[in-house]
Amino acid sequence: METDQTERDAAHNKTEKMFTLKKWNLVAMWSWDVECDTCAICRVQVMDACLQCQSENKQDDCVVVWGECNHSFHNCCMSLWVKQSNRCPLCQQEWVVQRTGK
Amino acid sequence: MTTPARRRLMRDFKRLQEDPPAGVSGAPSDNNIMLWNAVIFGPHDTPFEDGTFKLTIEFTEEYPNKPPTVRFISKMFHPNVYADGSICLDILQNRWSPTYDVSAILTSIQSLLHDPNPNSPANYEAAQLYRETRREYEKKVAAIVQESWNDDDDDDDDEGEEDEEESKAGS
Repeated sequence: METDQTERDAAHNKTEKMFTLKKWNLVAMWSWDVECDTCAICRVQVMDACLQCQSENKQDDCVVVWGECNHSFHNCCMSLWVKQSNRCPLCQQEWVVQRTGK
Repeated sequence: MTTPARRRLMRDFKRLQEDPPAGVSGAPSDNNIMLWNAVIFGPHDTPFEDGTFKLTIEFTEEYPNKPPTVRFISKMFHPNVYADGSICLDILQNRWSPTYDVSAILTSIQSLLHDPNPNSPANYEAAQLYRETRREYEKKVAAIVQESWNDDDDDDDDEGEEDEEESKAGS
């Protein structure tokens, strides 16, 4: 019968292992998911607090903002600039927020 | 107390010193970081060649969200420079971006000397001569290049240059 045949085949495969895995080393890599790591407005790294927050000692509240164009700035720096012009300071495209965060 | 604008200007100054663009130089004035003095050397292959044109750059606390006021102190004859030395340049007005710094401003003005835009003249005579009688334009420019060497009289520019190369023994 067909079922018997497949069971026998499975049993056969179990006994004859091609190889055994003795050791398994995983290596993970990561990098910041940003195109530009310095805020082009205040010229401080985006992962550090902007100049404004540094001088007001509000380092923890300083977050990064990414636009649809994938350019990133400090949210504080960008919120001041959009009052002047709603364009990305780097590529001049219309500024649309993609996300904010650290 | 330092403000973000002042700290940004310190960064601009640092960058200008570490990575100086060719043919321009600038530094904050002695007691006021919001007021800079700069020099643009006339670009090669232009009638401005060999000129040393002095400028002032005045920043506000809104920098870099607002552009500074840039003005030639040396006499200038250029289609896009007004009689009072102020400059008609898009990036200093409606095309300003907060990513620009002193280095970018000075190199943009340097390239404006190279490529005037006679279609939006600030100096009508210069624009007309540039378009119609280039020889006359070049003569007028040659005169202000000469004058640019003489404007040291008003302030004492006798600081000794101390960066003479020291000979290193046994290298």
